[in-house]
Amino acid sequence: MPAFNDFVTTIKDDLLDYAKENLEEYKDEILKDGNIFVEKTKVDLQRWTEGLASGALSQADFEFLLKGKKDLAKMEALKQLGLSKIRITKITNGIIDVVVGSAIKTFL
Amino acid sequence: MTIKIRLLTSILTLALCLSLLSCSSISVFSPEAYKQAVDLKVESLELMVFATSSYAEYEEDVTYLKTELSKAYEFSLGRPNNELSAEQWEILLNEEGNLLGGFLKRWEEEDLLSEMFVTDTQKLVSDAFDTIIGLESGKIDSSILK
Repeated sequence: MPAFNDFVTTIKDDLLDYAKENLEEYKDEILKDGNIFVEKTKVDLQRWTEGLASGALSQADFEFLLKGKKDLAKMEALKQLGLSKIRITKITNGIIDVVVGSAIKTFL
Repeated sequence: MTIKIRLLTSILTLALCLSLLSCSSISVFSPEAYKQAVDLKVESLELMVFATSSYAEYEEDVTYLKTELSKAYEFSLGRPNNELSAEQWEILLNEEGNLLGGFLKRWEEEDLLSEMFVTDTQKLVSDAFDTIIGLESGKIDSSILK
């Protein structure tokens, strides 16, 4: 079945091109978001510790802010989870386009 | 020829199934939800500034804001496949938590709060709203799926 073999070859090449284009971009985006969050946390922690030492923040204020950072991290994680689901949807739609495109190229 | 047609039909059917499956995993973009989040971010941050003054002076404003926030939460809860966004709102508004809900509760209980605490909680609340706005704006526009 030469047509089917051609189809398999075409789809492999097309999917590889698609993955190269998309996955690198998503990986960079996730790493960038994660690094920004860590950097912001470090700066905030330093300022809050100084605020606690100078009396600008009470013990209760300090604890609230620390726990607030934890709540914010949960919200950020939910955002990233949601964006990952959206990426999967986009990738799935992209794969569908590649499969259909390869099938049409080979069979029609 | 018949085999080719069958094969092509199978591929297209598989593509259609995958397409339906991928569309149901998370809600599509809602301009209304996006606007609600942006408006409430601005209104919340503006009101928080006054927490260095007595709560009694702003009680009505806080009650109004809480009602608007509840509406946004209920709206997010009612949308299909929108659990992640609804959970974000829940964390932000939780009175036992340490973001907007907890802040407004503390203001009410303590009557006024310190300047540094207010400024820094504002930053956290601002970032928290941005996670909601960021997720909503990342969602796929329903017109693209049609």
